[in-house]
Parts: sequence; C-alpha cells; structure tokens
Amino acid sequence: MSIDSSYAHPEALVSTSWMADHLKDGGIRIIESNEDVLLYDVGHIPGAVHIDWQRDLQDHTVRDYITPEGFAALCSRNGITPETTCIFYGDKSNWWSCYALWVFRLFGHTKVKVMDGGRDKWIAEGRPLTREVPSYPVSVYPVPQRRLDTEIRAFYDDALARSKTGGPLVDVRSPGEFSGQVTHMPEYPQEGVLRGGHIPGAKSMPWKEAVNEDATFKSAAELSAIYAGKLGLKKEDGIIAYCRIGERSSHTWFVLHYLLGYPDVRNYDGSWTEWGNRVGAPIERTA
Amino acid sequence: MSYPARLSAIIELFSGLPDAEKRETLIAYADQARMQEPREGEEFDLEDVRKDEECTDTVAIYLKLDASGGCRFRVGLGTRVQTLTRAMSSILCKGLEGSTPAEILEISADFVPRIVGADLVRQRSQTVYYLLNRMKGACRAWLLRERARLSEGGDPVDS
Repeated sequence: MSIDSSYAHPEALVSTSWMADHLKDGGIRIIESNEDVLLYDVGHIPGAVHIDWQRDLQDHTVRDYITPEGFAALCSRNGITPETTCIFYGDKSNWWSCYALWVFRLFGHTKVKVMDGGRDKWIAEGRPLTREVPSYPVSVYPVPQRRLDTEIRAFYDDALARSKTGGPLVDVRSPGEFSGQVTHMPEYPQEGVLRGGHIPGAKSMPWKEAVNEDATFKSAAELSAIYAGKLGLKKEDGIIAYCRIGERSSHTWFVLHYLLGYPDVRNYDGSWTEWGNRVGAPIERTA
Repeated sequence: MSYPARLSAIIELFSGLPDAEKRETLIAYADQARMQEPREGEEFDLEDVRKDEECTDTVAIYLKLDASGGCRFRVGLGTRVQTLTRAMSSILCKGLEGSTPAEILEISADFVPRIVGADLVRQRSQTVYYLLNRMKGACRAWLLRERARLSEGGDPVDS
C-alpha cells in the first residue's frame, strides 16, 4: 500500500515496498530500534544498523539523553552525516523507532523518516532479513550546538503548568493506566510506579488508536477524526504528550507533528515514571 | 549460592564471555528454543499453559519427572515473546534437567545477570526472570500434589 498523500508530511514515511527497492541507495541509513534487545541480532533489514534506545541514546547516570558530543560520535560510527536521510523502523508498531527518530530530532537531525508498518510488516510480507552486521566508513558529524529541549521536549514543570492552565495534555497510555486501575501496561510487568492515575486535566487517547492491525499508521482522515475530532486538538494548540517512559508518546508525537501537521507538539519523556512517583505531584484517578 | 551442575556449567560459560560473544551465545540459545517445545506423543506430569496479564504472549510450562525424581521441562512460547526470554527458556530447560523440584525451588534468580549481562537486564526485559518463576511454580504445584497423593497412601515417585 502506498503512503497517504494527505498526511501533512507524507515524505516522513516510506513504505516497505519502497524500502525494499532502495536498500542500496546512497545518502540513506536504515536504522532499527526495538524494545526486544536482541531482535536486531536475530535478523534485520539488509544494510540496517542498530540503535539501542538505552545503550546508545540515554545517559542513565543522569536520566537524560546522551550529550551532543555523544550524539555526534553515535552518528559518526554509523556513517551518518547531517545530510544522511535516516529511515527508522522497529518492533512494537514502531514505538522505539519513533522514539529514536524523536531523539535524532532533539539533536537537530532533520532528515528523518519512518518505515510504515515497521519490522512486523516487513517480515509479514516475506521480505529478506540478514544477520550480517554492516560496516560503514566513519563519517564526520559536527557536534550539535544544542538540543531542542524547549521545542519538542517537555519536562515536569511544563506538564505541571499545562495541567494548571488546562491546555492540551494527551495521555497515550492504555485506558486502565489512565484511570489508575492498573500501574502497568497491559501485557507488561510493573515497572516501578508507585501510583496509578493521570496528570490532572490530561485527556486519554491511547497511542494504539493511531495504527492499523498491520502496524501501519491510519489514514490522515482517520487520524484527524481521532485527534482533531474526538480529542478536539487545534493547530494553534501547544500539545504535550506523555506515556510511561516516553516511547509510546514519541509515536503519538510523530503522528501529531509529521502526519497531522501540528506545529507545536512536545514529548514529555519523563512521563508517568516521573510524575507518578514524584513527591507532591497531583494526580487524578477515575477508577 | 550453589546451582545444579548443568546450570552452573552454563553460568560459568557465560560469565567468561565478552559482551559480544555473550550476545551471540544468547542468540544461539534463542534459536534452540523451539527444540524445547513439547514433542508429539510426550506426556507430562504437569502442564501450566497460560497468558498472564503482565506478559506479551502465552507461556506454556510442561513438567515431567523421571523415575528418580529429576525434572525435565518443556516450554512453549508464543510468537511475540522476546528473544531474551526465548534464550532463557533454552538455558533453563537444559540447566535444570535432572534437578528435583525441591532443588529448583531453592535456586536464587541472581544468576540471571551473570548470564544475560548487566547491559541487557533492564526495563522492558525483566521477563527473563518470569520463566524461572513459572518453572518454580510448576515444581511447587507438583510437590503439593505429590504430598497430597502420599498422604492418601500413594507410593513416592522415586520408590
């Protein structure tokens, strides 16, 4: 199936068939990012490199992302320059590929795309996988001058201010997590959250609403009906999305910004693991 | 903490490996996970097939005890189960073979990071611990059933 040209930025998506026809194109780098830490090793799209959301993108000593120097080094060792078009794909309906893409945007890398349907669709279509790890010449990637922390990322204080003013705050977790009925994702163990519920004033719109059964994104019209229609989001709104650790909300961030064209969308990556545990942070429950 | 000899050998193997080889060895074990599935005609003393709320897919534990009371596990995993968990199913099936249910219940899970490596034991990969718990659960259930049977005058398994 081809990419819906009605998306605000259809160029931000490539189809699996396009990908299959362009595996050896110059100027692109195919990047796999998964939740399953060994999935890339089991087999990946020929030529794809692996970027691990924890090992490569995060600095756990400060619960933050890598430094600009670290990002430049990551790109260099994967043969990526600022001119390289990075095409992300992965498991879990592209949660982690959207997360990695968002982090690349955080460091100002502009040429980014997602392979619609991700790893599952590629495999379902019987396309080739390899265990061969590619090697690319080390590139020169200038150290980014800054991270876009104020443009596409939200912090606790931003979410708190939004909660107090009643601005758009989208909780993309499952209904059970939103209501406070459960403190874990469906089909996942508890991940250390003390309280269940949601940020006061947040509206629930699970990330899953944005995808079809085959992990592809829904059409522009369907997405618009969900986010502009049901949720009432307006283009002039500054929107903050959150989940539990920021990966599902990266998915929604991608949908809102790239597919629907909302200009001001931020991902609150501290999400519920910060808010739900933070001393003094108010919550609401509907369970 | 001492472990059953077979499991101990696997732990020692992994402990000495650099990270890259550890990953390769885990993949090799994951590739063998299907060999640990129940085979046509096999019968078991206990079957525990379920999809828990906190799991991505179904995990089926099959337990057979030999004449001397040693365990043999078979494990069936749904297609959505993570690679690391697949690797752990192979490791545990091989490592626990021949151990008694009582011995298995005594095993501490602290060997898991030694096999998997600190880099891979992380949020979203905690289900590596889940399999051992399920196998222990099967042992516990079998022991309870066996005690009930003995109290009703049955013969012990290893008689």
